[in-house]
Amino acid sequence: MHPLYGTTAVAGVGLRQYRRGASPLPEQGVLAEAILAACADAGFDPAEVDGFVSYGDDKNEPVRLMPALGTRELKWSSVVWGGGGGGIAGAFGLAAAAILSGQASAVIVFRALVEGSSGRLSAAVMAHHLNDHMLAAGIVAPAQVCAIRANRMYEHHGVPRAVAEELVRASYYHGARNPEAIAHDTELDLDAMRGSRWIAEPFRLFDCSRENDGAAAFLMVSADRARDLAKPPVYLLGCANGAEKGWGDLLENDDAALYPTAGFRPIARRLYADTGLSPADIDVVQLYENFSAQGVASLIDHGFCTYDNVAEVVRFDNLIAPTGKLPVNTGGGNFAQGFIHGIGTAYEAVKQLRGESANPVPGARTCLLAGGPGAPTVSSAIFANAF
Amino acid sequence: MHMNDGADAPYWNGLAEGRLLLPRCGGCETWLWPAISRCGACGCEDIAWIERAMAATVFSWTRTWHRFGFTESLDLPFVSIVATIDDCGIRLLGRLDDPDRIDPVIGEAIAGRIGATRVGDRDIPTIIWSRG
Ligand SMILES: [Zn+2]
Repeated sequence: MHPLYGTTAVAGVGLRQYRRGASPLPEQGVLAEAILAACADAGFDPAEVDGFVSYGDDKNEPVRLMPALGTRELKWSSVVWGGGGGGIAGAFGLAAAAILSGQASAVIVFRALVEGSSGRLSAAVMAHHLNDHMLAAGIVAPAQVCAIRANRMYEHHGVPRAVAEELVRASYYHGARNPEAIAHDTELDLDAMRGSRWIAEPFRLFDCSRENDGAAAFLMVSADRARDLAKPPVYLLGCANGAEKGWGDLLENDDAALYPTAGFRPIARRLYADTGLSPADIDVVQLYENFSAQGVASLIDHGFCTYDNVAEVVRFDNLIAPTGKLPVNTGGGNFAQGFIHGIGTAYEAVKQLRGESANPVPGARTCLLAGGPGAPTVSSAIFANAF
Repeated sequence: MHMNDGADAPYWNGLAEGRLLLPRCGGCETWLWPAISRCGACGCEDIAWIERAMAATVFSWTRTWHRFGFTESLDLPFVSIVATIDDCGIRLLGRLDDPDRIDPVIGEAIAGRIGATRVGDRDIPTIIWSRG
């Protein structure tokens, strides 16, 4: 059995989310609150936390959090390389690596984003990649990079554009029913969506995630320790992170077969091999969808459908809880739950497996978390409440 | 971010002289892009810069309507293009002349000329593509 399989667990979660520009505290203060909430959730003394992991160029260096948290000793402080949301799932793998190797015992996985403190995310993400080749072509935003790949997926690989709308509708359906979601109580107006302004073809406004202020934190400990804490453990069963040859920061020179994908094919292969699970074993999916087409590509990469049958699988009725066979983004996802650089998708993974989701999937035991479609390095993880 | 100190400096210098120069491994003749200082296929560090015609096909594209920062000099909407250069397969980012807003078609032939994109107070050389 792979060493990650069921040996660590999320024991507590904390989320603080506000509309963009509406955070009552600066970024570090919001983050400290989310971390304290995660520890309180688990019934765990925050001073005992000894490790921190983030991703996506988070600005909150762990050592600076110590005074506010009462941290006694910092033993692990790390971040997943790469811009975008590619490191979300990988961050849990990094925390598990610290715990399993004995280098730390209680690790907080986090991401914080308050515009007034660290600026707009899209600019921050692109600063990671931007160069003169892109600037000269007018390519300066993730929306454009993803739009170019989406056009090829639609036109050359024959994925019908309508599936993107199905995915967005499912997110808003779940978000409208989730009291913690930004889009709570807001039904999606389909005409408004279809008539919304172009951003970068094929994306209109509703194809794009939008930012919120806030932070989320997850307390990870060994599985044995988690069983003694206040909440039922959500076990990590596997995690894969990285990129294969022909994918990466390649100035659009990715391998032609990989080009329209979300980069997850090698990640999914490894994740399923390491866990002994297959797409049929996944009860619910939390998908980082920065843009609608990349969410669809991510589902294809993970083996839930193919270019040929994508329209049969990515259907609104099939994607929603409790009745759909492939419930996706049951909290509302990046479109409707909120977008703190995607960390809300991991939050919903834990809530769903604890039976605390606003849109529960009956009998759900496994949840796949996929981070950062289209990013040069991406990651995925599988969590479970029993194994 | 600086154009003339990276592995792709000969590319920028070529555009400034009105030529499209692209890197090919001197050992195994693999075309290399993004430009690198060592061929990952054979380990050779001898990189030759070969002139190619500005002839290509459309690999993919997007038409931008939203005013993103750093695009202030470009009239909206504008089309960005990934062009597969003939006789080498390297894909370059560029812009497409789009006066009639006709959607590009993947695989269609395009021809380029050297232009520039003003970003802030700099003019960055680029290839402007046209149909046919
Ligand atoms: Zn070579």
